[in-house]
Amino acid sequence: MIPPSIRVLFLLFFLPFCTFAQDASTLVAKLSAKMNQVKDYSVQVRIQSQIPLINIFPVNGTVYYKQVDKFRIIAKGIAILPKQGFTDLAQLLSKKERYSAISTKTEQVNDVPLQVVNLLPTDETGDLILVKLWIDSTKDLIIKSQTTTRSSGTITANYQYGKQQAIGLPDILVYTLDVKKFKIPKGLATDINRTNIPTKAQPKTGKITLTFTNYQINKGIDDKIFKN
Amino acid sequence: MLLASTYNEFIKITAKPRSYLGLGAITILVGVILFALKVDGLSMISFVTTSFEQTLTFQGNLLNGNLVAFIILQMLIIHIPLLVALVTGDLVSGEAASGAIRILLTKPISRTQVLLSKFIAGGVYTLCMIIWLGLMSVLIGRVLFGQGDLMVLNSDGLVILKENDISWRYLGGFAVAYLALLTVSTLSICLSCFTENSIGPIVTTMAIIILFTIIGTLDVRFFDQIRPYLFTTHMAAWRSYFEVPLPTAQITKSIFILLGHQVVLISIAIIKFNTKDITS
Repeated sequence: MIPPSIRVLFLLFFLPFCTFAQDASTLVAKLSAKMNQVKDYSVQVRIQSQIPLINIFPVNGTVYYKQVDKFRIIAKGIAILPKQGFTDLAQLLSKKERYSAISTKTEQVNDVPLQVVNLLPTDETGDLILVKLWIDSTKDLIIKSQTTTRSSGTITANYQYGKQQAIGLPDILVYTLDVKKFKIPKGLATDINRTNIPTKAQPKTGKITLTFTNYQINKGIDDKIFKN
Repeated sequence: MLLASTYNEFIKITAKPRSYLGLGAITILVGVILFALKVDGLSMISFVTTSFEQTLTFQGNLLNGNLVAFIILQMLIIHIPLLVALVTGDLVSGEAASGAIRILLTKPISRTQVLLSKFIAGGVYTLCMIIWLGLMSVLIGRVLFGQGDLMVLNSDGLVILKENDISWRYLGGFAVAYLALLTVSTLSICLSCFTENSIGPIVTTMAIIILFTIIGTLDVRFFDQIRPYLFTTHMAAWRSYFEVPLPTAQITKSIFILLGHQVVLISIAIIKFNTKDITS
């Protein structure tokens, strides 16, 4: 038999964690509900990549998305995008059983208090290890996300909202990714015209900025578009 | 008179079966490369992009006609000097061996003009080769693989060029590649003035190209001083047209060095040919 005083102490110790957990779940559920309003969308996108070892001009294209995981970019020319990040979050949030939400702390970003929530995928064998969200709880918006996967490392995304703020679709999305592993195959890049070039120290992160305009939401998208 | 003599020389080139060897070889080689790329081109590209694809995805048609043409040009530009030298190395020595040079020099035209007409005819033949290579690689490549942005790998990393920014680069690249091959043609004709058999100048030309290429690739400090002045170093200058920003100074330097080689080689050939004993 546990004495009543110990019981009270026990409750006082664990109560804040229970409240946090509940808050995080509620917050993520709200986000999920907001995201679920968007069944499909198409949007014009301009992709600007600043990635070490890659020299590419900005590319225009159209993004097509359909719940839950249908996603395609049709660009005129070659476009470079992060391997992870577009559909992972939507997929994860689509079902409550897929994650456990844990609220960790509150962070002040640009004078806005953001709730930091960790999402742990319940599937331990999947590629996704952890998703960290910085959420503006007053507007129910994701301001920043950090996705860690086994295959691609960590990718950070910063969201900026405009006209579609009400349904949680960003106008600007900036991905920051780890590029430490990038290597140029030496045998293929040999250029006898350029010998003894001093190797420049390359930045360890790259940035891909997507600017969205002209959202067409819930207008219906043919599945054929998602087939290559 | 020079024009008539050049025409005459070009007719002689077209009459030789070996002149078509080069065009035939280019056709077969390009055909083989196009087939290989059509069958397994994407895995060849992934060899380049593997380290990037751990974090990134490339959207769009990577294996397009522009990339195919670039791959073909990169593969064949090493081998075409042999095909050029096969014909041009024989222009003087072949006639010296057969004795036809004696009859030719009885015509009312100076030796210098006879030799210059051979250089010009050799240049026209080289131009035909490079145009054929261009048609086979760029046009057939675009027909078979379609248009698209060009992804080029150089020592600084990947450069992705917009589709509408490529044609002029190919024109410039082919022009510089032509200058490089013209230097090979000039070298082989110059060597041809020193011998009276066909094989000698052809083999010597290739030996010089191999030697200079090895000197160019060996990372030895002693060779650093001479490397920039070897014509083989500038045979890859066509690639500079596919860099961003365009290294204009580097391209201009390569053009001047290649032209300088040609002037020196033509001058040596003229001096030798004018003093050559054709009576024995």
